[in-house]
Amino acid sequence: MLLELTGLSKRFGPVEVLSDVDLAIDAGEVCALVGDNGAGKSTLVKCVAGIHGIDGGAITVDGEARHITGPRDAAALGIEVVYQDLALCDNLDVVENLFLGREKMRGMMLDDDAMEQLAAETLSSLAVRTIRNLRQPVASLSGGQRQTVAIAKAVLWNSRLVILDEPTAALGVAQTRQVLELIRRLADQGLAVLYISHNLNDVFAVADRIAALYLGRMAAVLDAADATQSQVVELITSGRSGTLGLGADTNGART
Amino acid sequence: MALPPAVELRRRNRAALLQQLHRHGPQTRAALTEALGLNRSTIGALATELAESGHIEETTGQSTGSAGRPSTLVACVPQSITVAAVEIRADRLRFALVGLGGEVLERSETALDEGADPMTAVSVITGGTAAASAEAVAAVPGLVDEGTVAHSTELGWIDRDAAADLEAATGREWQVVDTATAAAVGEWTRGDARDSRKLLYLHGGRGLTAGLVIEGRAQRGGSIQLGHIVVEPGGRECACGLRGCLEAEMEAFGFGEDFETTTLAAGMGDAAARDRLRRFGEDLGWALGAVVTATGPDEILFGGWLRELYLSTAAPVRSALAETTLPHLRSKLRLRTPVLGDEGALIGAAETGFAALFDQMR
Repeated sequence: MLLELTGLSKRFGPVEVLSDVDLAIDAGEVCALVGDNGAGKSTLVKCVAGIHGIDGGAITVDGEARHITGPRDAAALGIEVVYQDLALCDNLDVVENLFLGREKMRGMMLDDDAMEQLAAETLSSLAVRTIRNLRQPVASLSGGQRQTVAIAKAVLWNSRLVILDEPTAALGVAQTRQVLELIRRLADQGLAVLYISHNLNDVFAVADRIAALYLGRMAAVLDAADATQSQVVELITSGRSGTLGLGADTNGART
Repeated sequence: MALPPAVELRRRNRAALLQQLHRHGPQTRAALTEALGLNRSTIGALATELAESGHIEETTGQSTGSAGRPSTLVACVPQSITVAAVEIRADRLRFALVGLGGEVLERSETALDEGADPMTAVSVITGGTAAASAEAVAAVPGLVDEGTVAHSTELGWIDRDAAADLEAATGREWQVVDTATAAAVGEWTRGDARDSRKLLYLHGGRGLTAGLVIEGRAQRGGSIQLGHIVVEPGGRECACGLRGCLEAEMEAFGFGEDFETTTLAAGMGDAAARDRLRRFGEDLGWALGAVVTATGPDEILFGGWLRELYLSTAAPVRSALAETTLPHLRSKLRLRTPVLGDEGALIGAAETGFAALFDQMR
């Protein structure tokens, strides 16, 4: 397993946001994380990305327990996060954005040629055909193209786990499809992908496994091939579905 | 008459080497030695022979940046063997001339009048190139067996000997494959599906067809009439005479244009449009469940407008599939969209021709 969370807990003061969460993600698979607003999806991501410290449990990468104390630790382990707001600079072009803060140098100068070549290779390996000119400013790109650039930026750094937080939320129909195909391709090329979404269609289109959070607890982790839409909806809204999910009548509280 | 064993072996090795270069692109002699499991001197002799006959050339490869002489690459000469491929659709005809190694040497398209017979247009678009090429392959949407098109919703053909008609129009022999099978071959050879052992390609045009290829090879009987699987017994009447066919239930005639409007409306919150989409997704999932149970593929590609349908309604499609297939059949099943897009059928038709040529060489 590339990443394994065991018994992960996180409290904000008296509020227990995550309690005893187990999740494992392997290379080459898309694991979708679903849950209602406030279920703890974003907090979970921020714990893995090193933005929040954890109050209990362990994060294991490649079978070794790791203390992730900041985003740099996460990046060093090959974990990259693409947030909803994308964090791209509108006034810079595609290549400059991809290498922002980690520019390649040749002596004292920027190595523009090498960066442009590497950017082109990355985009073509992801079969991105929508971005023709790598030197156009990001401001001139559409929402889908920006999302593509943000994802490519995460992939460029020998990353092994890419976490995507609602990547299709702000996109149109056609652009959503392109991004979904891109996400699937990332995993098929051997990356692990943790994919957070509210849209069950998008989840079913790309996921190998579906993890449902309910009030800070992991209700169930299902194989997407065995799951049905109504099961997942029940897990999201009530934390259980048939024999799956959390014990009866706990209403999310610990018994 | 059987050839002497040494000559026969040489022919086989020659075909294997060309096929390796055709599929995997330019490579060094060392890489060829490893990939084919032949002796270095055998490769050397074959390469010299093929270079003399004009099939391959040895080029100085790109410098890898490391010290030393850059190694020479063996590459196909595209013009040495060419295959003509056409894709016949109701409203247009597409043509490509593909050379050894997969390079597209010529590419053109022409619009067809609705209901007009495409055969004359085929002879015009292929021009003189069809006669000069080693193989000619036509991709036709529908149920195809050998050269005969048994049923095509899109073209309105029933039991038409398309191979004979094409030969009459152009004066050369043609292979006929169905569009979905051709696209499956294309995706296996030049797309992302090269690891698939049993690949099922679904094609959405006017009417829905599917093609099953095993280890990248088209099979007789691999052409499947997906659109005429009954998902609603006693349901809507279909043009084929049955009731409740997938195509009829999905209103698939002229569906392509209508579909984007429906998804857009559903995206903006139109409940009726959402309901329609969900129903289409479910119907597709049920029909697929039957096909998966019958054929056991390890990968399914959603092509044509089914790409859009799948990406927009994956939840009902996969839910219906989970409810109608056995666990061991669905656990290893990969659902994907094609990377070659609309070009897949044309590329695959050409690759079908190359596969036949390599078979003849052995």
